[in-house]
Amino acid sequence: MINVKGLKKSFGELEILKGIDIRVKPREVVVIIGPSGSGKSTFLRCINYLEEPTEGEIIVDGIKISGEAEINKVRAEVGMVFQRFNLFPHMTVLENIILAPMKVRKLPREECEKTARELLSRVGLADKESAYPEQLSGGQQQRVAIARALAMNPKLMLFDEPTSALDPELVGEVLDVMKELAKSGMTMIVVTHEMGFAREVGTRLIFMDGGYIVEEGNPKEIFENPKEERTKAFLSKVL
Amino acid sequence: MTFSFDLIATSIPLLLTGAAVTIEITVLSIALGIFIGLFAGVARISSVKIVRFAAAVYVDFFRGTPLLVQIFIIYFALPVITGQRIDPFIAAIAGCGINSGAYVAEIFRAGIESIDKGQMEAGRSLGMTWLQTMGYIIVPQAFRRVIPPLGNEFIALLKDSSLVSVIGFEELTRRGQLIIARTYGALEIWLSVAVIYLIMTLTISRLVAYLEKRWRINDKR
Repeated sequence: MINVKGLKKSFGELEILKGIDIRVKPREVVVIIGPSGSGKSTFLRCINYLEEPTEGEIIVDGIKISGEAEINKVRAEVGMVFQRFNLFPHMTVLENIILAPMKVRKLPREECEKTARELLSRVGLADKESAYPEQLSGGQQQRVAIARALAMNPKLMLFDEPTSALDPELVGEVLDVMKELAKSGMTMIVVTHEMGFAREVGTRLIFMDGGYIVEEGNPKEIFENPKEERTKAFLSKVL
Repeated sequence: MTFSFDLIATSIPLLLTGAAVTIEITVLSIALGIFIGLFAGVARISSVKIVRFAAAVYVDFFRGTPLLVQIFIIYFALPVITGQRIDPFIAAIAGCGINSGAYVAEIFRAGIESIDKGQMEAGRSLGMTWLQTMGYIIVPQAFRRVIPPLGNEFIALLKDSSLVSVIGFEELTRRGQLIIARTYGALEIWLSVAVIYLIMTLTISRLVAYLEKRWRINDKR
């Protein structure tokens, strides 16, 4: 599904990613944790080329990127959910969801609307299709954002700290949607601080620090018995 | 000093037809200006260097030289090259519109840059191209935000359109000049002309305030 080799990313002099290698198979739920500044968000953003890697190779679904055309092709197959939702404020919920399928996949409006309504009921917001984003709570907005990404029928979903901007009481509803998605067999890479989610839903846990993958493996094993000193230090602070 | 209200009364119909022409030039020019300005504004932030450069040259030239000189160039200098006279109406709209486009371009650029960059990322992450994201997501939001400065530009252009009187085009200011040439009523006529301009600009600013209020509803962030 994804094959990353020797990925490096620098912003000017500052090297954020110092060589990342990872393979993700279909139906895996890879959860990435680590202190802020460890490069986990940057890594996620490199996968769909929101950040251009400085060095290394990323192959997504057999497509190796070498130009703008492939970038758009990969992005159409990779859904992304952002920390700050990034819904389009001038469009209704339904319009938010059908825009990309209509413009990128060139599907007819009726079909897109039908899919959008199915997705909205899947994330529990069937009655909100005519609402504008500002009329929704943060948790509802994030669920719409997930539905919007799913409308492209992606093969892989990236989550960039999807619950970090939410009020505590709204985190659960978003995590529930993500759990359901994982159960349905979606391949997911999730950057998060929600350790409970990592332990319960993740099929693999990656701990990143200082631009490297420090430790990876079965989430439960790492939480109970971390091998690396840095992982131990981090987990003792967050658990 | 004499002040003749009769002169004002008899001149008003003529001045009002001149005002209608002023509105006509202004509306057509601002339409042209918005059209050019939208493309130039987007071009100013394009990732293609040559496009960015061309837009910067256009903006710098038309903001950096007087509108009056630009009108002279279009009306008097261009025919020297082409060998063909230009209709004053065309010259007036071209001059005002192209000039206004440079200011509108900067307004749009600022408006576009004020939109959260997460919007572009969201559009791109869904597989839309840069241009699609601009067209469907960024520009429509930017447009609502630039209504107030665009209104100011509209008002400035309405006043600047008096400059086309120098190529003999009969808008409000030129009408005033012609009446004064006949009647010597400089005081009465220039005051009337000023009041008519004032009524027009005040009307526009009210209109803009109304639009701003109406369109802001969906853009609370």
